[in-house]
Amino acid sequence: MSSRLASSLPAALQKRNFRSTAASEFRERCVVVLLAACGLTTVLITVCIVGMLISQSWNFFQSEHVSIGEFFTGTQWTALQSRDLADAKFGIWPLLSGTLRVTMIAMLIALPLGLITAIFLSEFASHRVRSFLKPTLEIIAGIPTVVLGYFAILVISPSLQWVTGGAFDTFNATSAGIAVGILCLPMVCSLSEDAMRAVPMALRDGAYGLGCTPFETAVKVVVPSALSGIISAFLLAFSRAIGETMVVALAAGTRATATLDPREQSQTMTGFIVEMIKSENEYGTVQYYSLYAVAITLFAITFGMTVLGQIIRRRFQENYS
Amino acid sequence: MNQPSNPEIPPATAFHPNGPKPATIPAALASDDEVQTASNTRKRKRLSRWFYVLCVAIASISVVVLVVLLVSIGIQGHSKISPDLVNNAHSELEPEQSGMRPAVIGSLLVCGICALAALPLGIGTAIFLEEFKPTHWWLRKLHGFIQLNIANLAGVPSIVFGLLGLTVFVYMFNLFGQIQVNKPSGLELFGVQHYYQVLSLEPGQTILIPQTDMEQKTITIDRPIQGMDADGNLFDIARWDRKSGPKPTDRSERLRTVKEGAVGGSYSQREWYYFRLPFGRSFLAAGLTLSLVILPVIIISAQEALRSVSPSLREAALGLGATKWQATRDVCLPAALPGIMTGAILAIGRSIGEAAPVLVVLGAAVAKNGGPENLMDSAVTMPVLIYNWAGRPQDVYQQLAAAAIIVLLIVLLVLNSVAIYVRQKVQSAS
Repeated sequence: MSSRLASSLPAALQKRNFRSTAASEFRERCVVVLLAACGLTTVLITVCIVGMLISQSWNFFQSEHVSIGEFFTGTQWTALQSRDLADAKFGIWPLLSGTLRVTMIAMLIALPLGLITAIFLSEFASHRVRSFLKPTLEIIAGIPTVVLGYFAILVISPSLQWVTGGAFDTFNATSAGIAVGILCLPMVCSLSEDAMRAVPMALRDGAYGLGCTPFETAVKVVVPSALSGIISAFLLAFSRAIGETMVVALAAGTRATATLDPREQSQTMTGFIVEMIKSENEYGTVQYYSLYAVAITLFAITFGMTVLGQIIRRRFQENYS
Repeated sequence: MNQPSNPEIPPATAFHPNGPKPATIPAALASDDEVQTASNTRKRKRLSRWFYVLCVAIASISVVVLVVLLVSIGIQGHSKISPDLVNNAHSELEPEQSGMRPAVIGSLLVCGICALAALPLGIGTAIFLEEFKPTHWWLRKLHGFIQLNIANLAGVPSIVFGLLGLTVFVYMFNLFGQIQVNKPSGLELFGVQHYYQVLSLEPGQTILIPQTDMEQKTITIDRPIQGMDADGNLFDIARWDRKSGPKPTDRSERLRTVKEGAVGGSYSQREWYYFRLPFGRSFLAAGLTLSLVILPVIIISAQEALRSVSPSLREAALGLGATKWQATRDVCLPAALPGIMTGAILAIGRSIGEAAPVLVVLGAAVAKNGGPENLMDSAVTMPVLIYNWAGRPQDVYQQLAAAAIIVLLIVLLVLNSVAIYVRQKVQSAS
C-alpha cells in the first residue's frame, strides 16, 4: 500500500494492530465499564441533588418555628429581616409571587418577540439578513447573565423611571423582567426556528399553491405544524426564566412582597438564595436551612416544566421523515 | 355562456348579480363575487405585507438591544479601561485604583478545574451513549434513563447546582466537621505543615518549631525545644535572657537564639497541592461545581458531534475486525473531535460567565490581593466581582463594573472566535 494512499485512510485501517482478540475484548470490557461509570455519574448527580434538597429541607421543616402549612400558604417571608427566630415568618408566597411577576414580564417579552423573530428567520429572511441576525442572537445568548443584570440597573430601570415620571422603584420587577426576557429571547427564537425548519417544504408549497399569502402560510400552516416544538421551547424558556438568578439578584430588589404591582421591589426565590448566601447566617440555623426549602420549590417547578416540555415534544411531535 | 345550464351547477348561480358564471368553473368557486374576491385578496396581501414589516421591526429589536447594551456599557466603562484594571486588586480604600487582577486569575483557574473535571466525564458519557448502544433490554432501559436524566439535568437552574456544590464539596454534609477560619480543619491529607513561629534575636527573623499538638495554639519557650532551619533540619534552640549575659553578637548564633519565655503563634505552611476533606470555600469546590453546571451541555454537544460521524467509517473499521472501542478510539473520536471541541469551548465560555453557582460556593466577598495559592484557597471570579461592584451605589464602582464587563466580554469573544474558527475549519475540511 503506497504511503499516500495510507495517509488518507482512517487510523484504524492504517494501524491494523488487532493482535489478540482475547486481550482486546478484555480491554473493551474495561473501557465499557469505565464509560458506563461516566454515564452513571450523571445519574449520581441527580440523586445527589434530590437527596440534598430533601435531607436539608427536612432540617428546615423539622424546626418548631416552621409549619408546612404556613410555608405553602403564608404571605410573609422575613427569614432575613427578623433578628429573632421566633418572629421570623416563613411563607413562600411573596417569593413565589415575585418570581412569577418577573417571569410573566419576561415571557410577555420573550415569547412573542422570539416567535416572530423565528418566523421571520425561517420564512422570510434573505440569506444576507440571516447572516447578521443569527450571530446577533448568538451573541445575546452568550452574554453572561450578570451583565444583563447590570444592563437592567444601568439602562432599563432609569429609562422606565424617566418614561413614567418616577412611578417605578429603583429596583423593580419590570426592569428585571425585561432583562430576563432579553435573556430568554434567543433561546425561544432558535428552538422555535429549528422546529419550523423541520416542517417540510411540501406543506408550504401546498399552501402557496392554494393561494395563501406568506402571512397565512406562516401562521396557518407552518406554526401549527411546528407547534409541539414551539410549545416545548416556550416551556424551556419559562423554566429558564424562573431559575434565572443574577439578573434578579441585581435588579429586582431585596424585599419580598406579595403584590401584583410590577413597579415595586420583588424578591424572587433565586434572589433570596443569593441574599441568604451573602448574609451572616451560619450553616445549621433554621434561616439557613430555609434556603433549601426555597430551592426544593424552585427545583420542583423547573423540573416539572422540563418534564412537561419533553412529554409535549414526544407525544405531539409530528413526524415528517 | 350559451351552453344549457348544467344540472351540476346549483341554481344559486342563476341569481348571481353579475350574471351566470361559465359552466366550466367548479361549483365551490362558482358563487364567488369577483369584486369581493379581489378586494379580499388585496386585504390579505396587505395583511401579509404588514406582517412582513412587523417581522422586520421585531427582528431588528434584538439588534437594537445588543447595540444599546454594548454602547451603554462602553460609555459607562471606557474611562476605567487602564493598566490599573488588570494590574491591581479590589480596594475599599482607593476605589479609583481598584482592579480585577485576582478575579482574572481566579476565573481562569476555576474554569481550568471545571474543564479538567467536565471534559473527560462528559465526553466519556457521550461515547457511552452514542457508540455503545446495548442490546439487553434492561441495559437499553438504563441507556434511555441516562439520556432522559441528562435532558432533565440541562434544565436544572444553575443556582441549584451551586447549592449542591455548597452541600457536597464545601461542607460534605458536615461529615468532617465544620470549617473555621484560621484553624486546621476537617481531615487534612497532605501538602501542609503546621509550625509555631517564634522571633529570634536577629531582628525580623523567625524560627519555625514543628507543631505536634494541634489543639495548642501558642507555645512558650521555657524548656529545651527543637526548631527547624531553612533547609528543614532540626536543631536545638538556644535560649537567652538578660540574666545570662549580653546578647550573642554572631549573626548565625543570633538566628538560633530565642529570648527566654518568648511566645510563638501557630503558622501553617501550605504547598500548592494542599488537600483537605471538606473542601471549604475553595476554588477547587467552585470549579467542580461549575463542571456540574456545564456537564449536560458538553454531553449533548459531544453526542451530536459523534452522531454526525458517517456510519460508513465506523462500519469499515468494524468490518476490518476492530473492536467497538478500537473503532471509536481510532475512527469516530478523531472525526468527531472538532465538533466536540467546539461544543466544549462554548460550554467553557458559559462557565466563565456563570456567577450564581460560584457566588453560592465561594460567597460574595471580593477582597483578595492575588490569585489562589493552594487548591483549598478561596478565589474571586470576574462575574462575582462584577456582581459585587454593580451592586454598590458609588459611581466609581459602577464604572469599574462596566469596565470589568468589557474585559469579560473580550475574553468571551476570544473564546467564541476560537470555537467559530474550529467550526469553520471542520466545515471546509469535510
